[in-house]
Amino acid sequence: MSDLMHFEDFRAGQVFPLGTLTLSAEEVIAFASEFDPQPQHTDPEAAKRSLLGGLAASGWHLGALAMRMMVDGLFNKSTSMGSPGIDEVQWRKPVLVGDRLRLDGEVLDTRPSSRPDRGFVRFRFAMTRDEDARKGELVMMFVCSVMFKRRSAA
Amino acid sequence: MWFEDVPLNQKITLGSYTFTEENIIAFAKRYDPQPFHVDVEAAKRSAYGGLIASGWHTAAVWMKLMLAHRRERIAAGAEQVQENYVSPGVRELRWLKPVRPGTTLIYTNESCAKREWKTRPEFGLIEGMNEARDEKGELYYSFINRVLIARKPA
Repeated sequence: MSDLMHFEDFRAGQVFPLGTLTLSAEEVIAFASEFDPQPQHTDPEAAKRSLLGGLAASGWHLGALAMRMMVDGLFNKSTSMGSPGIDEVQWRKPVLVGDRLRLDGEVLDTRPSSRPDRGFVRFRFAMTRDEDARKGELVMMFVCSVMFKRRSAA
Repeated sequence: MWFEDVPLNQKITLGSYTFTEENIIAFAKRYDPQPFHVDVEAAKRSAYGGLIASGWHTAAVWMKLMLAHRRERIAAGAEQVQENYVSPGVRELRWLKPVRPGTTLIYTNESCAKREWKTRPEFGLIEGMNEARDEKGELYYSFINRVLIARKPA
């Protein structure tokens, strides 16, 4: 399985484009009904009167959607061993139903673990608008470390 | 509750949640389909030795329990209904132990600091420490939440 990305294949400054998605009302409401049942995430009429200005994704939902893009675009093509944590998540702008978004991951730095079979890669993931209006506007970012197997241990 | 009314340094139990094979796989199939979150057999061969919950699942459950706790307080007349809670982000999410099927985690929240929010001075920022522990008291997950709450009108 040498085609999978290992710890040694990551370098500071690498950028991974991780695709686009368009937020649907069904999905926003389904996630929020289970995990974040507040009117701005579950009720299109009440959401218009909320601070966010319309039916908006839960911030936790945006994180989970980004995770899906990270898994499909990178982690399931790698020796990912999961993450010990996230340094910081910023929810910068409301994301409303119908908004088209893209995700990019940039490697900030890499360091071997004290356990010889693995190493840590620290990424900055940026979710931005991918539409003519406000293109490139940052809506969410997070800085996250991920463990990968080392080639020497494969 | 207004910004001014939020008590500091009081640990509140938000509630508990039992992770099962079913809810771990259901969440991860949609949002985090790495083998150790979705495939019992592949998970046995992974570094974790068995199925574990997605970190975003552990994180989203906090929101669910926080809102359920607030609904209970509102029903009991201990808190006024107020929709204007917005979070600019969270910090230092730490997944300290793998969450396996059958684990029940008890989530707590403790507001630790109040800060000015210069861009929207009608709000104040509350920072809180949040933990999820099992019934033996072992810490599985922690993070710092940040929420903007309206200030009491002058």
